[in-house]
Amino acid sequence: MGASIGQAEGRRAGRWSGVDAKLVVTAALLLVILVVLLVLAPSFFRPNNLVNVLVQTSSLGLMAVGMAPVMIAGGIDLSSPANMALGAVLGAMFMQAGGNPVVGCLIMVVAATLVGLLNGVAVALLGMIPFVVTLATMTVATGAAVWLTHSVSVSGFPDSFYDVLLARLGGIPVSVYVLIAAVIILGAAMNGTPFGRYLYAIGINPRAARVARVPVRASTCASYVVSGLMAGLTAVLLSARLGSASANMGNDGVVLDVVSACVVGGVSIYGGSGYVTGAALGALVITLLSNNLNLLGVSYYLNLMTKGVVIIGFVALDGLRRRAS
Amino acid sequence: MSSFGRLATFLLQNGFLVVLAAVFAFFAIFTNTFLASGNLIDMLHAMSPLMTISAGLALVVMAGKLDISVGSVAFVAASVGTLLMTRLGCPPLLALAAALSAGALLGALNGFIVVVLGVNPLITTLGTMIAFRGVGLQLTNAQVERLPEGVRELGNWSVGPFFGDTLIALAIVLAVDLLHRRTIFGRQLTAIGNGEDVARRIGMPVDRLVFVAFVLSGALAAVGGVLDTLQIGAISAYLGKGLEFNAVAVIVVGGVSLFGGRGRILSSVVLGALVFELIRNGLNHLGANPYAYRLVSGAVIFAAMYADALKSRVRRAAVGAPAPGEA
Amino acid sequence: MTEAAYLRMQGLSKAYPGVVALRGANLEARRGEAVALMGANGAGKSTLMNVLGGVTSPDAGSITIDGSPVRLRTARDALAHGIAFVHQELAMLPSMTVAENVFADGFPTRFGIVDGATMRRDAAELLVRLGCNLPTDLAVETLGPGDRQMVEIARALRRAPRIMIFDEPTSSLTNNEKRRLFEIVQGLKRDGVAIIYITHFVDEIFEICDRVTVMRNGSTVDTRAIAETSPTEIVRLMLGEADSGERLADEVAIAGPVLLEVSGLCGGILRDIDFSLRAGEVVGLWGLLGSGRTELMRALIGLDPIDAGALRWRAADELRPVTPNELHQIAGIVTEDRRGEGLLLPLSTRANLSLASLRSLLTPLGLIDRGKEEGLAADLIGRLHIMVSGSAQAVGTLSGGNQQKVVVGRWLATEPRLFLLDEPTRGLDVGAKSEILKLTAALARAGAAVLVISSEPEELMRICDRYLVMSRGRLTAQMPGSATRAELLSAVSATPLRMSAA
Repeated sequence: MGASIGQAEGRRAGRWSGVDAKLVVTAALLLVILVVLLVLAPSFFRPNNLVNVLVQTSSLGLMAVGMAPVMIAGGIDLSSPANMALGAVLGAMFMQAGGNPVVGCLIMVVAATLVGLLNGVAVALLGMIPFVVTLATMTVATGAAVWLTHSVSVSGFPDSFYDVLLARLGGIPVSVYVLIAAVIILGAAMNGTPFGRYLYAIGINPRAARVARVPVRASTCASYVVSGLMAGLTAVLLSARLGSASANMGNDGVVLDVVSACVVGGVSIYGGSGYVTGAALGALVITLLSNNLNLLGVSYYLNLMTKGVVIIGFVALDGLRRRAS
Repeated sequence: MSSFGRLATFLLQNGFLVVLAAVFAFFAIFTNTFLASGNLIDMLHAMSPLMTISAGLALVVMAGKLDISVGSVAFVAASVGTLLMTRLGCPPLLALAAALSAGALLGALNGFIVVVLGVNPLITTLGTMIAFRGVGLQLTNAQVERLPEGVRELGNWSVGPFFGDTLIALAIVLAVDLLHRRTIFGRQLTAIGNGEDVARRIGMPVDRLVFVAFVLSGALAAVGGVLDTLQIGAISAYLGKGLEFNAVAVIVVGGVSLFGGRGRILSSVVLGALVFELIRNGLNHLGANPYAYRLVSGAVIFAAMYADALKSRVRRAAVGAPAPGEA
Repeated sequence: MTEAAYLRMQGLSKAYPGVVALRGANLEARRGEAVALMGANGAGKSTLMNVLGGVTSPDAGSITIDGSPVRLRTARDALAHGIAFVHQELAMLPSMTVAENVFADGFPTRFGIVDGATMRRDAAELLVRLGCNLPTDLAVETLGPGDRQMVEIARALRRAPRIMIFDEPTSSLTNNEKRRLFEIVQGLKRDGVAIIYITHFVDEIFEICDRVTVMRNGSTVDTRAIAETSPTEIVRLMLGEADSGERLADEVAIAGPVLLEVSGLCGGILRDIDFSLRAGEVVGLWGLLGSGRTELMRALIGLDPIDAGALRWRAADELRPVTPNELHQIAGIVTEDRRGEGLLLPLSTRANLSLASLRSLLTPLGLIDRGKEEGLAADLIGRLHIMVSGSAQAVGTLSGGNQQKVVVGRWLATEPRLFLLDEPTRGLDVGAKSEILKLTAALARAGAAVLVISSEPEELMRICDRYLVMSRGRLTAQMPGSATRAELLSAVSATPLRMSAA
């Protein structure tokens, strides 16, 4: 009882379809950057530095990996870094006041997740525009964080906090493992669960998804909750790495980095395509780009300009590709 | 309709007026100094840069697009003007012209990316917001740069009881309002906001119009940046930071719909800016935590956007059209 | 009657990849006369008018206006030649005023500023000429479809057109508004305007048109003077003399128990719909375009809102009340627009087939069991003879017939007891049509209640056990499966019930 092999019209959607090609492009970009580094700054490849890069990537990567489902379903979450900062600040203040670090971490995660839920409800149930809603949430969250901390960073974590979160297993820090675990779990969810399929369907054609009995509103809302959850996890890991939490952890530049990471990683801003793994790779590319530029003596400011160009360029190319097909 | 329904409709249509009145009343009651007339003048003075920038943004929003790079454009333009005066000894008028041109040019870049490259305006202006700030920081090296002596005094220029920049800002908002309501350009922008496809079908040069709207937004952002710098007396790396969100907040709270094609610019910009300035000023007088402002204004923005989305749904339901993304 | 035609379109052909839209179509219109242009969906009416409106350029053929040949390359060319097109989908700017909408393609100015006073005055004048007393500073979004149409017509009339095309102008109008429109058409005729009037409503053309041109399959079938023909004849011309194919399913003598009962359904254009569907029967939902068939199906499963009415569904041997959303979870639905609302084109055939059944294909851990999914896909591909090179092939690259089979297959996998199919054979070749029809019949044999919409009576006659006839949002007749083609045709060409005046 095999498939009816016949004169099927049109080209095959084989392994090298447009979707997979995007991962190839990202991987190629990665390779190019690594080669440039090898030539111009071989000190980059010292094990210590490599580990540092991976650690840096892990925070950006977690947020990007959380944002990917949202973007795949056709939305966007600009508040992710701000949620992270707010969660971090809340948990940190709790721990600074002597609270249990486990509870403190929980607070960080839950707070960010709740904001994600707020986004999800606004977009899915109230029908508000994702860009605008998450822009507003971002402002409120940052405002709240600034207000709570009076613009001062919060530190004073208990030792156990650092001991666990900054530990290394086989020389590789915990945060990198967390990122890998997130990629595996979310990747499996997006590729292998009904929820993941639903998100792709919604991103491709929300009308058809609805007719096909896809639970559009619930799935969309859930995607924002996932983004919030990832932001919460990032809060925990980043606070440990920095040794403090501040409202500035989620400034404008971080938002652009997260969106760039997804876009460069092949997750289309228009929805319906891209992989969680791509978002993680994209985060690596963006981190390397920042590092790269620093190593080459490029000012922070030029860095910003480059990032702006990169994200616009990738989205423009994506748009051109869509129009051509 | 039930009396509750009528109340709800009234609130929805005139929400911001209600908020304005409520905020005003709240602060008037709970503080001593709020009602002093000098205070009102100061508030208008402080609002001027924001009003100018919001007016430019309102044009873009009227066409159904968004420009969140206005804060960064204001920064770059003001930096260009300031540096020309302090480093190159340029005469102030020339520096002003350069600042305005810089703003228009950056706006043109936005317009180019949106219209020619076809990139979504949200992503475009998100990218340029960051990139332009980088440009500005590069130019000023993130240092504070004080305006030359003579120019700095302009910051205190007053005409009668009002500050000069208040009058300039109001004149600009008035001019933009007239542009919107009484010129073919403004009417066509509104048409695009009503429905870009319909506007094309009718034969309007949509791409050209959107491009010009972005140029104007950039130019007016430049004016706002100049006014802001004059008030402070110097350029700092924080100029315009967050201004784009404030500008969006102002026009949304004031009644211009983010979906495009609706709203009166004059009333929206002035009253919207007034709401936020009232809140900020009032919180000050209350002696409240200075950081409370961001939180409160964020909540107000959220409510305003929710109302906007609600109104849009009601409209679409009346016509029977599907919401974006629904069957 | 020997006056030469003002507009003459001859031998127009237009082909798109995979579809021939026009084959040597002809149309003539004289000054001061209204020519009705009729034909089933896909007959080529819209394409022909798009050619006239400068929206589409033909591959071959000529257009002559007032004796001189013209080239209509763009919409502007058409306007320049005095052609005005009032589309079915009005080009309205909702938040802007009536006056602004009337002048949207040419605002009057004075010293560079829009001259509001002139605009309002001239717009009012135009509207009064149309018998319409709208205040010109009302926002268009507050107007009903009839008044909006007046605004659109006023905009067209500003340019004093010599040829006016009306595309389905009466679909959303009340009786009074229709009267008003007819008077406008008569007035335009008196002014010497040549009018082309596209509609599905056969009764209307007998009121205001002088001749009727019928199209089928991209060519002009015939042109008659209205006075010399009848509604039945026109419908016959529209639908052709196609042979009914052989009957694909034995007529069901006694169907199973009632599965779905609908009473008093109202919503949108639907009014007081009562019917029931039994297990094992194929019911054809028959009527001309605009009669509300698609609207009925969509309302049943909650894609469009209902204002009133009750639905009952058989569960555990009893008819219980059910909401449209609940019916959505029970029914399989094949919509009219398989590319827009049925399929997820970039996804694989397998993914499209399994989309509605994912929850039954899980491993204990909650992940999708790929083996089971592939098995499901292979089974359906085999059963439905879907021509793919493998279940991974993207559905967007399949032929229309195979795409349709994928949509049907998706629902088959959920084993629904209610199946709603809207124009399931549209755009398919003869062989694919037969296959889909056989599938539909098989669904009923398996015990489901099946409701099928089709615009081709021959198709319905091959599989239906009975017919529900709709017109203007109402169920006007129920006919047994033994109804002849002639009976079906006259059921829809007879004068339908009048809609109540607004």
